[in-house]
Amino acid sequence: MQPRYRTALFLLPATAWFVTMLVLPLIVVFVFSFGDRGPAGGYAPAFSFDNFLNLGARWAAFKNTMVLAPAGTIACLLIAYPLAYYLAIRASAKWRTMLLILVIVPFWTSILIRSYAWIFILGGKGIPSLIAALGLGHIQLINTPFAVLIGIVYGYLPLMVFPIYVSLERLDKRLLEASSDLGAPPFNTFLSVTLPLSMPGVATGCMLVFILLMGEFLIPAMLGGGKVFFVGNALVDLFVQSRNWAFGSAVAVALVLVMLVTVTVYMRLTRRWAGGRDDISLM
Amino acid sequence: MTDRNDFISHDKLMNEAMRYKRGSVSRRHFLGVTGLGLASTVLASSLGRPALADGIGDRVVLASWPNYHDPANFDSFKAATGAAVDLNVFGSNEEMLAKLQAGGTGWDVFVPTNYTISTYVQLGLIEPLDMSRIPNYDAAAFDPRFAGPGTVDGKIYAVSKDWGTTGMATNTANNNGKAVGSWKEFWDMTQAEFSGRTMVHDYQLTTIGSALKYFGYSFNSIDPEELADAEKLLIAVKPHLFAITSDYQPAMRSGDAWLAMCWTGDGKQLNRDIPEIQYTLGKEGGEIWSDFYAVPIGAPHRDAAYALINYLLDPKINMAETLFHGQPVADSRVNAMLTPERLADPILYPPEELLKNLEFGAAQTLTNPDRAELMARFKSA
Amino acid sequence: MRLYAVAVYLFLYVPIGIIVLFSFNAGKAASQLQGLSVQWYGKALSNTFVVEAFQTSLTVGLSSALLATLFGTMAALALQSVKGKLRAVFDAMIYIAVMVPGIVIGIATLIALVTLFDWLNPILKALWPIADAAPQVSLGLGSLIAAHGLFSMALVIIIVRARVAGMDRSLIEASADLGATPFGTFRQVTLPQIFPGILAGFLLAFTFSFDDFIIAFFVAGSKTTLPIYVFSSIRRGVTPEINAIGSMVLAVSLCLLITAQSILRRGAKT
Repeated sequence: MQPRYRTALFLLPATAWFVTMLVLPLIVVFVFSFGDRGPAGGYAPAFSFDNFLNLGARWAAFKNTMVLAPAGTIACLLIAYPLAYYLAIRASAKWRTMLLILVIVPFWTSILIRSYAWIFILGGKGIPSLIAALGLGHIQLINTPFAVLIGIVYGYLPLMVFPIYVSLERLDKRLLEASSDLGAPPFNTFLSVTLPLSMPGVATGCMLVFILLMGEFLIPAMLGGGKVFFVGNALVDLFVQSRNWAFGSAVAVALVLVMLVTVTVYMRLTRRWAGGRDDISLM
Repeated sequence: MTDRNDFISHDKLMNEAMRYKRGSVSRRHFLGVTGLGLASTVLASSLGRPALADGIGDRVVLASWPNYHDPANFDSFKAATGAAVDLNVFGSNEEMLAKLQAGGTGWDVFVPTNYTISTYVQLGLIEPLDMSRIPNYDAAAFDPRFAGPGTVDGKIYAVSKDWGTTGMATNTANNNGKAVGSWKEFWDMTQAEFSGRTMVHDYQLTTIGSALKYFGYSFNSIDPEELADAEKLLIAVKPHLFAITSDYQPAMRSGDAWLAMCWTGDGKQLNRDIPEIQYTLGKEGGEIWSDFYAVPIGAPHRDAAYALINYLLDPKINMAETLFHGQPVADSRVNAMLTPERLADPILYPPEELLKNLEFGAAQTLTNPDRAELMARFKSA
Repeated sequence: MRLYAVAVYLFLYVPIGIIVLFSFNAGKAASQLQGLSVQWYGKALSNTFVVEAFQTSLTVGLSSALLATLFGTMAALALQSVKGKLRAVFDAMIYIAVMVPGIVIGIATLIALVTLFDWLNPILKALWPIADAAPQVSLGLGSLIAAHGLFSMALVIIIVRARVAGMDRSLIEASADLGATPFGTFRQVTLPQIFPGILAGFLLAFTFSFDDFIIAFFVAGSKTTLPIYVFSSIRRGVTPEINAIGSMVLAVSLCLLITAQSILRRGAKT
């Protein structure tokens, strides 16, 4: 068979799948975003920009997301980096694989079940009861932005550790030796050698976590008690409760646009630092 | 006329089809007589639907509310018919409506509230009930106030399950033994003594409605100015809430929450297990509602659906249900079997002066876009 | 430094430990330990709806992973020979598939399919010879597999493509010089080199589908996957049955991971 036909044949199933299940549905969302709410909910064909002009009604949800998503990302980074460093540079090779698996395993358990544990830990019978027993009074931890932040860090930590570990592991250890031989104190070595060389991993990790956080629904739903609304929660509400498909589509379009802008800016910045890695493959 | 299953006249086919459609014959009879049984089985198994079996099948899918059914009754239903009840729980009529509008729910029976039924009929989402398959329903025995909304345009689309009110549950141990008795107190105390301890329903009708009662407006109001007042109150209260959820029993039981917007049955269940928790109505008014059983169009196990509804409406079973979930029922046959103390229970049967202030929810309250949007803004805030 | 690592591992595993611990609760409450028993494992395993949810998740996971891996690998191989505009379009689609949040994909799929079905079903009813027995399309297994497979396929393409790019070309040339057919070259030279990528893609695809909640939540229709069951149970009233389910899923994931790791390690050695 001619190579050209074989290439086309090999590409056909994937293309068909992408077009029918990705491109077409996204076009439908785009079209719906200009429509109206149906009389009892749903979609009624129309063409107007009203939904986009009305996006301010969900300003709080966007604000929550744009505040807690970066906060969660940074918190993850701060906790993950030392652990990745330890695994890549300090841990003995014998233990390394085992420890790595132990980091990944929680990620392979459904986030749903893991967050559920925090409902108990942060709820009345968990940490607050400990705090009350110590005589420090009553403090509510569950159903707060703090609980959602903890849930985020807990859920996404493994995802942040892995790319940082990969880039640190590829580090040529002799560079570190050379730096200390040249008389640099350990912290300076870290700042001028380790950190810059690990930036690709940091960038990948942050981007992965941030992208996933923008669409997050479960963690605020479970740990926020209906009080902490991300854009994801606003979207679910618009399709599953207030049933305004047209406005929901507009919110979805807005979310995707915000993400595209943020990610593009982010990648331009990090490409300058990290020296041009433009695919997120880790293998 | 012929007895052979592989040859059937057009007339007989149409005749049997009409009888089946009216519900006069069972599906098995129809399929057997017209020879479609075999064809249908082959088709169904190739399309992945369950093949016909003797009896009503192995399951019935029920969409209902939290803490609303006695599991023992489901067990006995399964023992009697072989069908297990697959219970899906929802916290608001809006969610049920959204799912039905999206189609393909797979529900056989669901429990709509009085003001939703006309909308469901309008949208073509539920079917008129074949009352001959629900012999346990005796129209004369049911209080028309509560059973009435199930009939639209002279056809019965839904049969009465129970009725109740929407009030508040207070853990009086946290309030010097006093129960909160008015919506004014409810919303004011949430911002003061009960800050961080109050829950409201994740449900536009009751949450907005109860906020409207604070100002003395109608529970069903869709007036933009009144709604704006309600929204201001809700947004002011939000930071003081413990949670926004229709599933408030766990938090009330664990003591995390002290005050909750509450339905009759939950109030009764809580009070029965924890006597300090008392259920009261707001003296300004509030909601009175009745719930029904209905069958959505396209129910995959219609036989099982009817069997379940009929079973649950059997007065003895219905009495077991009401004793479990704590909602009063509109069936006078059941009420005749209850003890006088039960009938005098103020939670289930509130005094007349409080009852008369209550309003039934209206269909337009459910579908009004402003109220839906207000609720979404409130949750978003 | 080691202390820090220990603390982080504790942070990761104490909640999991709590879940596993309470799965052995002899009492009914999910928040009070009242003695130990394995009753909840028995209850979970004999609960028809749990077993069904598990079967659905398994079916959808395997089907979507298989299809995604097959079509994704084919596409990754074919993309080597595609340049210019077509390549850019394809790259854009892959980028979008990965970048767009799952919730938007779920919603888009829901409204696109519902609109399609609302249009298609009356036509089917009108055309079908026996009006009342017309097949009606609705959300279910098909929509689940299609939606999950989309994201998985994009993942597989990215992974396998990187693997293909990192291959040693000289081996392929050598194989051709030695007279092997293109298929033979593929089977004996290319495939072994990219196989770890294919396997990794398959495992990732399966895990993604098995654990996914948000897309399934929108497109599952009447079907229930395990995550959907767990989520609704948390609403229904919490019993340690959920803990039992969670612990079992965790144990299976652990085994899968260790197996995958040992296969990959052995593969890398050759």
